[in-house]
Amino acid sequence: MKSNLLLLRTLLLSTSSRNIYKHTTDKKVKKRIRLGYFGMFCLYAMIIGYSISMCVGYGAYGLLDAIPVMCATVISFLAFLFTFLRTNGYLFNFREYDMLMSLPFEVRTVAGCKFMYMYVKNLPWYLSVSISMLAGYAIFVHPSVFTALLWILLSFLLPIIPMLGAALLGFLIARISTGFQKTNLIQVILSFVIIILSFSLRYIIEALFRDDKVEQTLQSMSEATEKAGRIYLPIRWFQNAIVHTGISDICLLTGLSLMLFVVVFFIVGRSYRNINSSLKNHAASKAYKMSGQKKHSQVQAIAFKEFKRMTGSTVYITNITVGELLATLLGIVVLIVGFDKIVATITNGAPLDAAMLRPAIPFIVYFCIGMMSSCACSPSLEGKNYWIVQSLPIRKKTLYQGKMLFNMYLTVPFMAISTICICIGAKASALELLLDLILGLLLCAFSTAWGCVCGIRHMRLDWTNEVEVIKQGAATAIYMLPNMFVVMGLVVLMVFLGTKMNHTLLTLIFIVITFVLAALSYLRVMALAKKEE
Amino acid sequence: MNETEMLKISHYSKTYGEGKKAADDVSLTVMSGDIYGFIGHNGAGKSTTIRAVVGVLDFTEGDIFIDGHSVKTEPMACKRVTAYIPDNPDLYENLTGIQYLNFIADVFDIDEQTRQERIKEYADLFEITQALGDLISSYSHGMKQKVAIISALIHNPKLLVLDEPFVGLDPKATFTLKELMRKMCSRGTAVFFSTHVLDVAEKLCNKVAIIKQGRIIDSGTMEEMTEGHSLEEVFLEVENEK
Repeated sequence: MKSNLLLLRTLLLSTSSRNIYKHTTDKKVKKRIRLGYFGMFCLYAMIIGYSISMCVGYGAYGLLDAIPVMCATVISFLAFLFTFLRTNGYLFNFREYDMLMSLPFEVRTVAGCKFMYMYVKNLPWYLSVSISMLAGYAIFVHPSVFTALLWILLSFLLPIIPMLGAALLGFLIARISTGFQKTNLIQVILSFVIIILSFSLRYIIEALFRDDKVEQTLQSMSEATEKAGRIYLPIRWFQNAIVHTGISDICLLTGLSLMLFVVVFFIVGRSYRNINSSLKNHAASKAYKMSGQKKHSQVQAIAFKEFKRMTGSTVYITNITVGELLATLLGIVVLIVGFDKIVATITNGAPLDAAMLRPAIPFIVYFCIGMMSSCACSPSLEGKNYWIVQSLPIRKKTLYQGKMLFNMYLTVPFMAISTICICIGAKASALELLLDLILGLLLCAFSTAWGCVCGIRHMRLDWTNEVEVIKQGAATAIYMLPNMFVVMGLVVLMVFLGTKMNHTLLTLIFIVITFVLAALSYLRVMALAKKEE
Repeated sequence: MNETEMLKISHYSKTYGEGKKAADDVSLTVMSGDIYGFIGHNGAGKSTTIRAVVGVLDFTEGDIFIDGHSVKTEPMACKRVTAYIPDNPDLYENLTGIQYLNFIADVFDIDEQTRQERIKEYADLFEITQALGDLISSYSHGMKQKVAIISALIHNPKLLVLDEPFVGLDPKATFTLKELMRKMCSRGTAVFFSTHVLDVAEKLCNKVAIIKQGRIIDSGTMEEMTEGHSLEEVFLEVENEK
């Protein structure tokens, strides 16, 4: 127990911004930390606002019992996804593995503390959802102090089971992939399967596309969360504990969480060293035979280097290409099933037909493709290797052009496939398809250049785990979150404007706007590159 | 096992994918008081062997014993008496030097007075005391190496395992480390380290093993191995022969 607490405390201290702020003399680092705090504050404000407004909506339509279910569902989903995406890099394959394993810690202690570290780090996010929803619930129900305390206490337990599930899945993926020669590839494929399954949860899609028929929507969402509660029992236990003060439900949630923790880490602990050994070591390749070497331009060479950087990291590839994969899957599904049927399924009775959503196709595709831009994190990912590009006769302009070229190589083909499939499924005319492709291409260019602006402005080279810049970096957050919300708004705007004006004209207007934005972002990248030189 | 056998590697093999053996039937014994050099080309299997010794790398064939305890079955007993300094120490970069050393001292349950004395002694010796309050991320490679060395010495290990310990150290720190290794051996500590610097190995070690493509191709006391020649000559000759 003592060694568990010691290790957990050290892990938290070693990634604490407060500790860095206290001991660094670098003003830039201090400024970056302050900006990070501000960003976090904004994110918390958004989460709290969103959670409370959702509860107010539920309460206004008398769906009060569904609020605890919604709270448990959101926390469980977030806990599962956050943990699964971080398993590789935090739980396995982490940088200080050699140092920790050579110290007198039990293997189970190391694995358990790494898990607890993820739990403690993410707990404020889960609690912000929980307490906000409690506040929204309290507006209508006026719960007793005991119920409120119970809500908060059980919120500490709610993330544990999904986190354990995600850790176990991550462990199984790592275990399976180490049995193959292409460990990374197998890990990436299996990770994608889980991510796609997670994203396919119906209520998320519903939540993204609804904008009308509030009562019906809420009723439908309530049904969806009720279903979630039937499938995933801890959600039901949480609801019963809050609504009916069910002692047996409280005991079940607590008991199962603790029991699963022990069981999972018993299983993980047994193969932990074996898996990490396999993930961290690669056999020397067969004897290389010198063959014809091709010459490339500097920009192409950098783009290729970025490609190899991406394929060499499971964390990087799964985060960067998840949008491309989703867009392609969406395109294929629309092509097979038909745009009308997909829209009808997703909108589920809302007054939206396929024709209304037609002008929004490029933005729907871009919602997936532009979810993440490799350019937002690739400048930071140079990390300690930054000296290589610094010492070579490469202009900064060329360096960033190479990074942007790679992102275009990555996004454009998927955008084209998805747009073509959806347009065929939507029976769009040749002109509409062409304009959609042009708009899609320009959106990719904007995503690339804007991502690069974020990546350069918030470049951070002193990371110790690449997860810090890929998932948690300021550049990633600043690129991703506004981009996501703006695109969602644009989909709604396109649907609205589409009812008022000609679709072709509407697309042409957005082509011009996007072109201007992409050009301005590109010029900004060039200006920043010049400033760096 | 003899009482003075601090490290015994017995028929240890490590196989990676495609059946390639990174270490193949490696056997050697390091007695207390030995300074044992482990030399070989890049990729010969030195680090693979060392990482298995310190319990970082999993292995299936053979066994490794530290102070009579098996690394496989009693890893904690082994780790309590061992200190490991990797070739490129990945320390917690966002801790200060002193925070990191205190963490290691806590792990080995060293009382406050002893840790303070030892940290001061070694930090003064390596001339890093003034930088201990700074974040490790601000340190140079050599300074990180010094912190790693201090952290390894802080609990008076019975077995000191070092992977390329002199890389990145300034001449004075190199000299200090060599002196420390000699001093520790005179007190009965066993030192097992890999190096490419054959001059250092020749002057410092009393025993040496040469590894090539995962196999020990020659080992013994320095006198037996060199027989009037330089270690460099012997190494090149043995490498070319086998």
